[in-house]
Amino acid sequence: MSAGAKKRIMREYGECMADTPPGMKINFDERNMTKWEVLLDGPDQSPYAGGHFKLEINFPNEYPFKPPVVSFKTKIYHPNVSNDDKGSMCLGLLRADEWKPPNKVVAVLRLIQTLMIEPNPDDAIEPSIANEYKENRKEFEKNVKDWVKRYAK
Amino acid sequence: MASTGQQPSTAPSAGRREMMYCHECHDEWYRDEHGIICPECDSEFTEIIEDGNDPRDNAMHDMGHDSDSDESIPSLEEAPPNSHPLHNHNPWADDDPEDSDISQMRRPGAQEINQIRFEPVGPGRFHVSATIHRTISPAALGQNGNGPNTVGGFTSFLTNILQGARPAGQPQNPAGEGQANAGPRPSQDGQPHVSRFPYTASARLRPRDSNNPEPRLEPVDDLHNVISGLFAAFGEPPGGRPGGPDHNNDFDGMPMNPLLGFFAAMSGGQHGDFVYSQEALDRIISQLMEQTATSNAPGPASQEAIDALPKRKVTEEMLGAEGRAECSICMDEVNIGEEVTVLPCKHWFHHPCVSAWLNEHDTCPHCRKGITKHDENAGNTAAGGTASSSTSAADPVANMPGAFGVTGEGTPSNPYIVPGTVPPSVATDPNTNTAQSQEGATESSSGGGITERLRRGWSSGPRG
Repeated sequence: MSAGAKKRIMREYGECMADTPPGMKINFDERNMTKWEVLLDGPDQSPYAGGHFKLEINFPNEYPFKPPVVSFKTKIYHPNVSNDDKGSMCLGLLRADEWKPPNKVVAVLRLIQTLMIEPNPDDAIEPSIANEYKENRKEFEKNVKDWVKRYAK
Repeated sequence: MASTGQQPSTAPSAGRREMMYCHECHDEWYRDEHGIICPECDSEFTEIIEDGNDPRDNAMHDMGHDSDSDESIPSLEEAPPNSHPLHNHNPWADDDPEDSDISQMRRPGAQEINQIRFEPVGPGRFHVSATIHRTISPAALGQNGNGPNTVGGFTSFLTNILQGARPAGQPQNPAGEGQANAGPRPSQDGQPHVSRFPYTASARLRPRDSNNPEPRLEPVDDLHNVISGLFAAFGEPPGGRPGGPDHNNDFDGMPMNPLLGFFAAMSGGQHGDFVYSQEALDRIISQLMEQTATSNAPGPASQEAIDALPKRKVTEEMLGAEGRAECSICMDEVNIGEEVTVLPCKHWFHHPCVSAWLNEHDTCPHCRKGITKHDENAGNTAAGGTASSSTSAADPVANMPGAFGVTGEGTPSNPYIVPGTVPPSVATDPNTNTAQSQEGATESSSGGGITERLRRGWSSGPRG
């Protein structure tokens, strides 16, 4: 990883500390600054409210020319998060062909919060959940709360 | 004609009176009453009626059965053995021998096809799978040398179908297959042999798209695939392998004739560069898309284009209203007087920062506007500055890799005629940015140089 990338990550961390989005806590390890651990509270206006989700943000060596990789370490019932042990999330500006260097981690974190409030079923990684979100919102929210109770407390 | 050799059981008893028969008038009488001369017609052509030799046989129908109910007259049904060539032939006494043959034939090879499954695997696609079980008991094979002829019959039926697909020189005799099929196996272990044939095929049902060329249609089902699989189930591959029902003939394990092998390989869908199913095509497409994850984004910008980007010292005006700005790539603050690279879209960055990005993507990191337009202009200026004979500097095709950009009054017979002098119109070509032309005149473009050399070579060639 280039010195420029490290410098940028340090700068971004400083920015995040100065202006941390609400309901978010960032654990930063200077010895391994390419891996951020984020503790995220389920947004109040979402069915994820009350849950605490652990995320990992990994910065590639080519950062900021390649997007960071976001993964949920806490299981979450969400159309845009893969329902496996990776819990990967890949959409919007996180996509390799959508990413551009001026994007910042703060923007990524805000995107995640937004997606928890309003999932994007048209760009889903879990089609069955997306379908349920679109066609049976009640059942979707019930499942979300069920999973929050089971995994995210 | 009188026969005296009699079986003991049918010898006339002592008390029995001999009957006489006249061949002339068919009369009958007792010998002890009238002698051996016919009392009616005095004929001497008479005969003693004996058990095994009844002269009335021939005249039976004429005479009818007379009232003589003498039990000594043998009934036809109780005819003595050996006196009749067909004595054992009694179609009604026993089961029809052919019936028994058939029942024997049925016994050795019991086949059943079960587990036929249709499972839809996608829109318009389904799989058919079936399992055929065939049990052959060794005892049946031993007793019936000709083996399960029912199978042989079916085998030969299939063989007839297959003959077209068979390479010349292979035995085409169905009977031969029947033999090989049914021959007793050396490894008789007393267990019934079960050959199992898992048959899987898939087909698709989708409407044709008449507006677009379709990829070569996969066969709805490979007839040869099915048939050779069936052969495997029946213990005999079409190639005539001396195997048998005791081999568990998996389809892929059997030697096939080349055509069958070809079809089998195709049905796998991963054979070389061609595919025969939508599924396989989708797999390849998604694989390609994964390999080039950024395929939607433009490719890298050329080094010349990057080098040609104008550099400028940051002015107060560029900092904007806040009075401070940063390079959005490295996020370092940029101060007045620092040199930055300005893209055609007016966004500016540190030169090392933006060139690192442009080496991967020909877009502005901010607004994604490409710098290719600038690239074209740079090419134009280079060509305009160094290539005196260029006639196509403004032609975008000329700037594409591999394009020679030769235009001229060529004809199909002599396409290489290129104007040797600059037409005056080039200098005032509206597409040429004159301001940049002067700027780029000092830069050399390798592309233009090569094109130039090629042109010179051609123009001196055909024209002599």
